Amino acid sequence: MAITVSTQLDLGDIQGDILFAYGNEYAFTSYLFVNLDGADGRGWVSALVDRVTTARPWPKGSDGATDKPDTTLNLAFTAAGLTALGVSQELLATFSSEFRGGMAARAAELGDVGPSAPGNWEPGLGTGAAHVLATINAKSSDLLERELTAFREHAERCATTIVNEQHAQLLDAQREHFGFSDGFGQPAIEGVSEHKSVGGGVPQPDGRWRPLAPGEFILGYEDEDSRVDPEHRLPSAPAAPLGRGGTYMVYRKLYQDVALWRETLREAARDYEGGETKLAAKIVGRWPNGTPLVTSPHEEDPAFDPTQEDSNDFRYLDNDPDGSRCPLGAHIRRTNPRDALGWEGLDEAGLLAFRHRIIRRGMPYGPPLAPDESVDDDDTDRGLVFVCFNASISRQFEAITLQWVNDGNSFHLGDDRDFLLADASASGKMTVQGHPPFFVAPQRSFVTTKGGEYLFAPGMTALAALADATESGP
Amino acid sequence: MAEPERILVLTQVNGNEHDMASTTRTTSAARPPAAAASAAAKRAKSAGGAGTRGRTSGTPRAARRTRVSASGHDSPAAKAAARSDGADTTLGTASRNVDGKAIAITVFSTVKWPGRVWLPAVFFVGSHIPTPFARTLSRLSFIHFARWTLVREMPDNGQQDESLHYPHLYFESNFNGGWQEYIDAFSHILTTGMKIFWGTSYGFPQPLPTGPFKVYIQRNEIPASHFHSAYPQATTTMILSGLELQEKLERFDEVSADLSDEAFAECWRDLLTDVQGLL
Amino acid sequence: MSNTSGQAYAFLSMTPIKAGEDVRLRAYIEGLARTRPFDRLRRTHFARLVILPDWVNDPSQPKADHLTSQYLIFSATFDGPRDSYLDELGKRLAPEAKEIWGRCVGCPPSARGAPLKRYLLHNQIDIGFFVAAYPDATVETVKRVLAQRKQLADFAVRTQGLEASELRHAYQQEF
Repeated sequence: MAITVSTQLDLGDIQGDILFAYGNEYAFTSYLFVNLDGADGRGWVSALVDRVTTARPWPKGSDGATDKPDTTLNLAFTAAGLTALGVSQELLATFSSEFRGGMAARAAELGDVGPSAPGNWEPGLGTGAAHVLATINAKSSDLLERELTAFREHAERCATTIVNEQHAQLLDAQREHFGFSDGFGQPAIEGVSEHKSVGGGVPQPDGRWRPLAPGEFILGYEDEDSRVDPEHRLPSAPAAPLGRGGTYMVYRKLYQDVALWRETLREAARDYEGGETKLAAKIVGRWPNGTPLVTSPHEEDPAFDPTQEDSNDFRYLDNDPDGSRCPLGAHIRRTNPRDALGWEGLDEAGLLAFRHRIIRRGMPYGPPLAPDESVDDDDTDRGLVFVCFNASISRQFEAITLQWVNDGNSFHLGDDRDFLLADASASGKMTVQGHPPFFVAPQRSFVTTKGGEYLFAPGMTALAALADATESGP
Repeated sequence: MAEPERILVLTQVNGNEHDMASTTRTTSAARPPAAAASAAAKRAKSAGGAGTRGRTSGTPRAARRTRVSASGHDSPAAKAAARSDGADTTLGTASRNVDGKAIAITVFSTVKWPGRVWLPAVFFVGSHIPTPFARTLSRLSFIHFARWTLVREMPDNGQQDESLHYPHLYFESNFNGGWQEYIDAFSHILTTGMKIFWGTSYGFPQPLPTGPFKVYIQRNEIPASHFHSAYPQATTTMILSGLELQEKLERFDEVSADLSDEAFAECWRDLLTDVQGLL
Repeated sequence: MSNTSGQAYAFLSMTPIKAGEDVRLRAYIEGLARTRPFDRLRRTHFARLVILPDWVNDPSQPKADHLTSQYLIFSATFDGPRDSYLDELGKRLAPEAKEIWGRCVGCPPSARGAPLKRYLLHNQIDIGFFVAAYPDATVETVKRVLAQRKQLADFAVRTQGLEASELRHAYQQEF
């Protein structure tokens, strides 16, 4: 069945860095959470609206290269923030319930317990104090500083308060702090990134792949459900003028205990004949440079090039049904199962997974831990600012976290959780399938949640409406 | 400074699909505003008040209002986004449909005339012949037990006469996993099965798209007031794995009893290789 | 009628609630989560108590169906046979039964023992189609194999890398 986008995406009305990543030129990012109490909130937003970066493609210079601005700015709002801006309770009620409740209210489900519990979060996060998240990307630290200074001055002028700020910076070679190349597995979206369909889209029974409907990630457009609806109804979204062109955003500051990770690997690898690096790869599902285990189970492929169209081309069912290449509970197999949840004879593979995709735009933060022999912790805050976008927090981000990361039942792994990510308080081993299988014993968590928020990133028209507080018709 | 004036107001509700907004262990349980109002009226009546029977007609806006969620999270045992529809907050506390990892869903739907004949035939076939539906259901492996039955009349206990215009289809399931994923799976993978069971119920939309189907199920779902599992921390898959493991372990004990230590270790490694998918 | 699958029994009853009792009944039942009375009926796999205030009607129906009483749905999946289970229920759930079915029309005043069993049987609704993932496993079996599975997994992780004789010894200690 030919799938066609019935409505063209209005890129000028959608904020940037959602559908199209800004790119690695922007190696420096700051996340500023602002509180609007006692301030001219609408005035503050209004002054920023014109500077918000959209999804409209940047012009190409005379040399053919894209002319990217020095810095970018994007805005997202918590439910408390929308209320502070004067959004009525009735209008707020059209936003999803998990957004309105906030991330801190989902702590038990998300595994934010013990050290990760909201009670231990950084000030300003999870308390309702965070109203607006301003994300600033910059090509250099100087440019970032310049923007931050201007931003702080503007905040002061409007009597708004910055309640939390986080600075992030790309590490070498696009790695994250455990040493793994990150950013793969982004969804292929129709009309946006169809070139990523092989591996990034929905696997089809005939061996091909197809891109996902834009409405899975941007509200006001057809999603996968609309495709099978004779009336092509659109998915639920906040009421006009706020819904269209917007999307839900998840922000989570995740501390990574790199010393513990290295120590664990060293200990466990003593009994593992594959060695430390291979064991690490088994936990993640890719080698450190990104080579998928499924395509290259025995060694990292130095020639692996993620920009190649087929670099992400693999499935689990035909090649690796019992996890002997990529373990059934490996991180990437859990967070993006592709066809792994189906079975032979099930006509369309990927049916249990295709509506749970997310767009990830996070950044590592903090200086790297020296890569020497010692595995001592240096007491430094480092980790990942996890950011994702999805049309439905509960169906996408939360489903992945609750069903696939914090539980193993979907993969017939019982209680076992994502060994890389999940909170270890409920324990759960890592099984590396093989002859015989190898087990990694449950650990203290490598990752601790230091704070987070559920946010809404409005389209440009919606943003203007929030700033002006005009009532516009359906 | 005075509270900001609420300027942005609701001008239109996108009423075609309600965001189910809950996943694991948070099944919806709220009745739609109109029905809830009716139920509230019923209680008012039974408590001696003068209430109205049947569906009350709310304002169009209220009737189409997206369900508001109270963000209350009590104990980890409660564990669900409590749903209230504003009309009656004592209804629909989703946590009562949950015991540990087990989730209960109870659904009633009114059946059209053809269903009187069709459904008993379906039940008969299903109970006697292995069907693709049953095979797929068991492969999906998140259901412990499920049942369907047709209620045609209420047994007489001397209560006021109940005369039914229609039979009513009762469906119940005890399952694991998220409510949304559960219904999604049914819609996508058991599409024909869904039509066979609910095709003769009034208001049943097609299983796909999932949106309207979820709305239908939610509208027809009755929240449990108490739900109990004998093994709340177990999933169906764990139990099936356990049963298979038991057999293999028995055989291992037989085979390995008289082996040397080295041979035993080898046999043990073979066992682990064999059962690694069951642990 | 298929009330059984393997050794598992699917029992369903619908009993009319006495007028004016539904609020107290609901409040009482909602409190059972704390005391878990069905733990006393060890053959119970799953049980639920649901209050049905009225039929669910769809706007497309020519007529609406309404119940004159509210109904209490009791649904339990247990290790058969049915009759001995209801005997047990009449004994072990006696204190609760009075508060639950005691509030239903036609329930014998004592709400226990043989009279309660008769009452529930009178109000039983047969099941048309019953599916069970593990029809032949009793509750006891389920609990036993779950524990064994966990024990084996923990043992396998703990003893990884042990020498053959140590492993043998550990296995004999454990199982």
